[in-house]
Amino acid sequence: MFSPNMFREENTDSGDLIQGTLEMLVLKALARGPLHGYAVAEWIHQTSQQLLKVEEGALYPALHRLELRGLLQAQWGASENNRRAKFYQLTAEGKKRLNAESQRWARLSAAVAFVMQAT
Amino acid sequence: MVPGLNDFLLRIKSLLRKKRLDREMAEELDFHQTLMREKLLHQGVPRSEANAAVRKTFGNSARWHERLRELWQFRSVENLTRDVTFSLRLLKKSPGFTIIALLTITLGVGANTAVFSLINSLLLRPLPVPHSDQLVVLGMDQGGPRTQYTFPAPFFRALEKKHELFQQAFASYFRDKLLVRGSSGNENVPGLLVSGDYFTALQTPPLLGRYLTPEDDKPGGSPEGLAAVISEQYWGTRFNRSPNAVGSKLQIANAAFTIVGVMPKRFIGADPTAKPQIFVPLASEPIIDAPSNLIESGYHGWWLVVMGRLQPGVSLDQLNAALKTMSSPILHDTVPEPAWIARAEKEHFHFIAVPGSKGFTYIRFVFEKPLVALFCMCGGILLLACLNLASLLVARAAARERELATRLALGASRRRLIQQLLVESLLVALMGTMLGLAIAPAVSHSLATMLLNRTGSDIYLDTSLDLRMFAFAALIAVVATLLIGLFPALQATSGNLNEQIKEGQHKATTHKRRLLQPSILALEVGLALILVIGAGLLATSMVRLFSSGAGFNPKGVVNIALDMDKQPLEGDALLRVYQQFGETMSHQPGVTTTSFSWIVPLTHTVWDDEHTRPGGVPHDLYLNAVAPDYFKAMSIPMYEGRDFRWTDTPSSGLKMIINQSAAKLFFPDRNPIGQHLLRGDKKIDFEIVGVVGDVKIEDLRTAPPAGGYVPVTQSYIDGGASNKKPSFTMVLRTTGSASPLAGAIRSLAARLTPDIPAPVVTTMDDVVDSSISTERVMALLSVFFAACALLVTGIGLYGTLAYSTARRTSEIGIRMALGAQRATVIALVFRTNAMVALVGAGAGFVAAILGSRALASFLYETSPHDPWVMLSALTSLIVIATAASLLPAIRAARIEPITAIRCE
Repeated sequence: MFSPNMFREENTDSGDLIQGTLEMLVLKALARGPLHGYAVAEWIHQTSQQLLKVEEGALYPALHRLELRGLLQAQWGASENNRRAKFYQLTAEGKKRLNAESQRWARLSAAVAFVMQAT
Repeated sequence: MVPGLNDFLLRIKSLLRKKRLDREMAEELDFHQTLMREKLLHQGVPRSEANAAVRKTFGNSARWHERLRELWQFRSVENLTRDVTFSLRLLKKSPGFTIIALLTITLGVGANTAVFSLINSLLLRPLPVPHSDQLVVLGMDQGGPRTQYTFPAPFFRALEKKHELFQQAFASYFRDKLLVRGSSGNENVPGLLVSGDYFTALQTPPLLGRYLTPEDDKPGGSPEGLAAVISEQYWGTRFNRSPNAVGSKLQIANAAFTIVGVMPKRFIGADPTAKPQIFVPLASEPIIDAPSNLIESGYHGWWLVVMGRLQPGVSLDQLNAALKTMSSPILHDTVPEPAWIARAEKEHFHFIAVPGSKGFTYIRFVFEKPLVALFCMCGGILLLACLNLASLLVARAAARERELATRLALGASRRRLIQQLLVESLLVALMGTMLGLAIAPAVSHSLATMLLNRTGSDIYLDTSLDLRMFAFAALIAVVATLLIGLFPALQATSGNLNEQIKEGQHKATTHKRRLLQPSILALEVGLALILVIGAGLLATSMVRLFSSGAGFNPKGVVNIALDMDKQPLEGDALLRVYQQFGETMSHQPGVTTTSFSWIVPLTHTVWDDEHTRPGGVPHDLYLNAVAPDYFKAMSIPMYEGRDFRWTDTPSSGLKMIINQSAAKLFFPDRNPIGQHLLRGDKKIDFEIVGVVGDVKIEDLRTAPPAGGYVPVTQSYIDGGASNKKPSFTMVLRTTGSASPLAGAIRSLAARLTPDIPAPVVTTMDDVVDSSISTERVMALLSVFFAACALLVTGIGLYGTLAYSTARRTSEIGIRMALGAQRATVIALVFRTNAMVALVGAGAGFVAAILGSRALASFLYETSPHDPWVMLSALTSLIVIATAASLLPAIRAARIEPITAIRCE
């Protein structure tokens, strides 16, 4: 059973995030280079100004799903403290998907903003 | 890379390296946990709290693995193995349920497959010859309701020449007993008389030597003499597969036939139910049949089965049109009697052709309808078994909801649970189907034996597997599995089960669920009622048929068939031998009366001819030649006049005894004694000397016809027993058993007539029994199926109610704690099933009334709506349903409120 909320938000005021967004965030996290799972979660947490905390229970299934779909490629390598870790890297397919998702997100958030700002 | 393909390859990889995948997952998660713990410690959190936080996040590691693994696996393959193992364990845990489930499915599938294999071999399978679709069967339409399929030789010889229509037309005549001289005396071998083009038309090359040709089909055979072809089987038993068999001589009916060829095993001829071992030319019939001669009897002898292989390009319609126009010319060419032709033409006599790819056998006419009816019954049983199992499985799944809820809580995914439920039903279905298919050959074999083995006949049916059988077996397996799995699947996917799993026992069942299961049960009850009514009708009809009697008392009557064809004595000398037989046998212990008759009633042999009262109109009389004391031996009442005497010789004037029907038909106005009847066109004059009771001749169903008896001492004057070497059957009435008589007659025959084959002893009871064997088997099987249907329905009603009552234990406990009486509880539980049974029975009753007409043709003096049968069927079903529903109800009433509530 997957938990109905894939993210736990530190600040509950910000409301629910749209499902499927996690995958987009993961792709985005990997845009700058290969990272292991923990680093992906950390990066999202930091970059969101501690607003978003990715649940481990959602992160790993998302990573594996993306790998199975061919958007990510996994490789075992040494971590910063010299431990064996599984690093994820965007494939060409993954980069394409990230672009598409970013554009879609921009349009969507703008649209939502218009609506919410209407008087 | 194509995403789908990538996905597929990765999954394949993971399937092959399952261990490594698991290890890597564990490692990846472990790495995460280490970093997380380090970070917390770094932030100054105490070690114990950090460890607790990590555990809280990652919790049950098995569940994590399950979730990730699910992504990677072909769920269908890996989980299936686990589900199968688990389901097997569950089934083993409730052996009662499993055994009943398997037995019912096995019965349904086994019976269906068995009956289908009979239908297949008798009605569907084409002859194993090349281009069997070109074959046609010829018949004659004589204006009657039935087509005549036996031809006189002259008609066939005329048709044989029509090469513009047929590549070959061929005739055959099956003799189940060819008298062949073996190393130790004579033996009877089933043989076939075939016309010249028979083998050419069937296009099967011989295994050895050559087959018979038109050259052989001439009186006296080809210039090299009489030729015969033998089967591979006979080649093995008689000649030990020696190649020298071809060219050796075989003494058949006291004539030497040269074996010219051996036919391979796959060649079965044009009759799928006969298994001839020896093939001889048609023209040798006078030798084989001596002293009778069917060829010589011309258009009076109707004996040949005629088939043809169509010329390419000639359609069946064209053939029929051509046959119609050539019918009249053939009659004029072959029949020397203008009166006969005139009558035939008045009845629009013409030849017809029907498709012959499956060959021709009379057995089809007898068994087609019973087999189809049996098949429907079996289908009903299978449907019932499937429905029953489905409803039990649904009930069981519902009763298991607590277990399912627990498994869900422990991390099983919902989908996996549903899958496991489905696997369980499929497993039962598949195992039952396999068992059913496994027993089918044995069942079909014994069915064939029961249905086909009538006294004195030698019917062979090849029920071996073929492609059609496999297709049917596969179809039935799939249908049964679908039927069984369908309802649990519907249930599972309708979301109700999920709801139940989530809600546990306390949620009231949803409306949809409340409808599905009762409708299955109601359907079951209805179906069972239909089967029971059908069985009741058949059984009632069978009992009435049996008790209707044949007009004689078969009990204690023994028939001894004496075959005098191939011995030297004839005429009066032979009659004296018969008298000696009778005299000697009458001294055997227990024998009270001995006599002889030419025809044994109910054995499908008849002799009839037209008779006229002087100045009256002709009527058909069924005749028999009998010796003195026949009526006494058979216990046929003698109403008037006298019995025959051995002194009623031809010189003392021809005598006849008629039955009551004949007396009423010819002499309604006067005492028939002393009156005269004139037989046939030759107006042979008979004086009536006695009147006896009516006797059924053809079968028990057919009302006794008007009949007449002539004395054996005068029988060879004219008619059926007209030859000089009549073979009579000795009729004995005995107070003992038949077996000691068999030994006595054998030694007597060896002394008096050493040349005849061993006399065949049968009891009249057997004759009567086997004359209704089809009806009996139908009735027995339908009663068996109906009993099974009742049992299965009872189990279904009981089982589902027991499961659903078990789920309500605490509810009932509370009710009782609050003061509900035991009677109220019984009524509460009982009501659930009573409604279902009532609705089902009502629907089934209506369906039975509408459908029972289909059985009408099987019923003897029984209306398809016989109120007693209907009522008793309904009663028996209600009794079973009540018993099945009362048991769980009483058990529920025994619930101790305290225990029930505590067990929550």
